[in-house]
Amino acid sequence: MSALVFVLPASAAAQAPQAEESPRESQGGTYLKLGLGHWQGDIFSSSSLTRWDLSVFGSKSNLTSAMLEVETYFDRPRLFGLLSGFSLGYRKDALRRRESGHMVHAGLFRSTNIASFELRGSGGAEWGVPSLNFDSTEFDYHADGAVRYNHTYPIKNANVPLLGTAQDGVLYPYLEFSVVQRPWVFLLEGGIRMNIVGFQFDDYEVDVNDDVTYSFRSGKVLIPYLFVNLGLRLF
Amino acid sequence: MGADSMAMPSVPSRRRGHKVRVRVGLVVLVVCASMACQDRRSPVGPTMPESSNGTPSPRLAQEVRQQWSPYVGVQVTGEALEAYRDALARLARSGQLKGVRAEIRKSDPAGGARVIKAIASLGLELLGLIGNEYLFDQDIERVIDGIFATYPEIRYFQIGNEITTILPASGPTMTIEEYMAVFQRIYEHVQSRYPGRAVLLTQSTFGSGLHGPTELETMAALGLADMDPAKVIIAINDYNPNTAVQYVGLLGSTLRRHRVWVTETGVSNADAHVEYVQGGYRLLRNYLRAERVYWFVMWGGDSGAHSGYSLIKSPADYPNYWTSPLFQLLAAPQ
Repeated sequence: MSALVFVLPASAAAQAPQAEESPRESQGGTYLKLGLGHWQGDIFSSSSLTRWDLSVFGSKSNLTSAMLEVETYFDRPRLFGLLSGFSLGYRKDALRRRESGHMVHAGLFRSTNIASFELRGSGGAEWGVPSLNFDSTEFDYHADGAVRYNHTYPIKNANVPLLGTAQDGVLYPYLEFSVVQRPWVFLLEGGIRMNIVGFQFDDYEVDVNDDVTYSFRSGKVLIPYLFVNLGLRLF
Repeated sequence: MGADSMAMPSVPSRRRGHKVRVRVGLVVLVVCASMACQDRRSPVGPTMPESSNGTPSPRLAQEVRQQWSPYVGVQVTGEALEAYRDALARLARSGQLKGVRAEIRKSDPAGGARVIKAIASLGLELLGLIGNEYLFDQDIERVIDGIFATYPEIRYFQIGNEITTILPASGPTMTIEEYMAVFQRIYEHVQSRYPGRAVLLTQSTFGSGLHGPTELETMAALGLADMDPAKVIIAINDYNPNTAVQYVGLLGSTLRRHRVWVTETGVSNADAHVEYVQGGYRLLRNYLRAERVYWFVMWGGDSGAHSGYSLIKSPADYPNYWTSPLFQLLAAPQ
């Protein structure tokens, strides 16, 4: 992943003169992209809903993702110059778990040339079965038999057919910012995606007489993925 | 335009198609390479090395004890009673056993009661599983009265187990709709006749595959969701924690206020017991918010060959009965 990040500026330098000759905004085309993403953070701590940690080994939970995406650049900007293209993609979170972490997304993007790069902003929606890495329950068992626990999990607000129960999926918006280079038939991209996911934070306390008290909260959590993509122009 | 030109694409078109195929091929290669990347969290959990003599390292033993839930299922059979007494007492002495799930059977009620009373005499909490065959009784309220009278020491009663999956196809069988009608009657009877006397557990849905989650969803729609969460606990048998994804939506919505106990879990290979507890119990707690996890089973040999799930085997050899590596780890003095 890091190797690709370093390739970007080098490739940009090589492509700079060519960019002046043919602005990328006019380079329409459809690309098939493959990418890797990484998220880690500590959303399970009630006091740190939006805290995230870029240290590679310092956070409480993490997952690595693979992405496959098809994106189309328009020949010229559309919708009053606001849109440069659209993308459809699939992301597999937590690669070793087949039962969860299947997300598909659709989005629109606007690309702007800055020097020899394209800066790109995207937005869209993502839908699917989220990784179970986002589910966590912390238990506190007491000697007298009472138990307290906190259950943190993404709000299931969508149905995923053929999987299980009616409310087993999530649907949420995302924003994405990236730096793109498109040398020859390739596409190189690195950036950050912010998934805006609804989470529930449920506290339970069960006393020795089986009386249960609850404290249920919910909130939006920004889940930032760092990603790099490598693409090939199909046509 | 001739027939040949219609069948054959032009040369530029063929070149373009070739380029697309090459590019797609390259991407597929990269996809395959990337799939070799592994998530740092393994499916069931990390393992730690054993000591050179094959016994778990102290660090592994400590982690397994931390993950372990001190509850075990016991199949009620008198022939194993002495070994049960000894094995349960050993686990209790080491602080790794607080409660036992045992079936209250319609067949041989006196023999079953003898074993259950013996377990209770060890000071262990009992979860009484009211056998499926009772649920066909037309006067289920009278049945409950009798069981409550026989077992005043039991507070937690589970009403049936895997009712739609383990009854013989030759009959009688019960649909989940029929089960919920019986469960509703028992719930209302207990609340009116014995307020505060008992907490009921639902039948255990089966946790591997889609059947259990969709069945629990039906149970919720048929009245379970409206029952008092302080008086009813949801029971799930789950032998594959990774499939718990199919329960999480339900437990976070319709059944959000209800408690969850995993009433059966385990793995049928004694050499894998320790690793299963180390990784699988964590997942069951994380995903299902299971307050308790009952290991299945102390001895699974009453119906024939010794089950690989068993923590002990050959109870007739008491006091020299066989114990699994997991049992040895849990029973070891700390």
